[in-house]
Amino acid sequence: MLDNLNARDGSGDAGRERPRRASELAQPLSDKEVPIGGTATSEMINSWLDGDAPEPVAVNAESARQVDLWRRIDEESQRRRHLVTPAHVKAQIMAALPADLPQMALPWWKKSIHVSPVVALAAAAGLVALGAAIGNSMRIR
Amino acid sequence: MKTTVPASPTDQLEVDQDIISRVLAGNRDAFSVLINRYSDPLYRHALGMTGSPDVAEDILQMSFIKAYQHLAEVRGRFDAWVFRIVANGCKDWLKNIRRTHLSYDEDDQPSGYSTPDEELDRTELRSDLDRALMTLAPSLREAFVMKHVEGRSYEEMADLLGTTVGALKMRVHRAREALQALLEEKYA
Repeated sequence: MLDNLNARDGSGDAGRERPRRASELAQPLSDKEVPIGGTATSEMINSWLDGDAPEPVAVNAESARQVDLWRRIDEESQRRRHLVTPAHVKAQIMAALPADLPQMALPWWKKSIHVSPVVALAAAAGLVALGAAIGNSMRIR
Repeated sequence: MKTTVPASPTDQLEVDQDIISRVLAGNRDAFSVLINRYSDPLYRHALGMTGSPDVAEDILQMSFIKAYQHLAEVRGRFDAWVFRIVANGCKDWLKNIRRTHLSYDEDDQPSGYSTPDEELDRTELRSDLDRALMTLAPSLREAFVMKHVEGRSYEEMADLLGTTVGALKMRVHRAREALQALLEEKYA
């Protein structure tokens, strides 16, 4: 039988224990536990708030306070989730709608064009002038 | 921490398209069906973003009027389209306004709390949360409000905002960190 020289479970050196430092003995138990986040929102709290994990079990006073804070914020958020539009607002919106019906979105070539007689005459005169100018330039050649 | 499950988008799309067709055919009153159907989540969004019921009402009204005027241009889901109008209205308002403090004026809201002490405590948290929310960047506030106040899933948020689930998770997590840092001294 071989001796287990690397035993980490204490079985290899039964009865022997690493002597504790004075600073360790002075610390309260909670300081030796693993906190869930310090001041930043931890992974565990984010997972809980995202609905991906159950509510984290707080292992120290600070994390318990963080969990409690988020529980309270969530209660407030839930309350706001049930707020409804004040009834008068819906009536106001309907009353404020323009009288004209919403226009169908037509491509530009399908839209009707309104031309006044003056604009039509001006356009015709312009076309005559343009035709004359083209005719003159062809005669010169 | 459950989120609400939306109705089937396909069914919703068909029903909304039917209503839109009726409005475009001349039935102006049919537009009230769309207002009744979507105003509450949009109002909550505007309220969460601006912190002011009056401003939220104005943004909601302007958004629905704009939606009515451009109703013929709706392609796809009406709720997503009108949400973008409201969200842009909130962002425009935030760009233009300088405020020191705004809080919910909810004297007319019924209270469900049992004792005056509890009520006082919650009212204080309510206004502190509002103040803290107002210090967040608009994109973080938007993500936090959509997730926590509106109870939307990350997938739904990504669909509405045209971004990725990962980016939105990051925004919500950063918003939580900032809010915790602001509130924990007093409450935690």
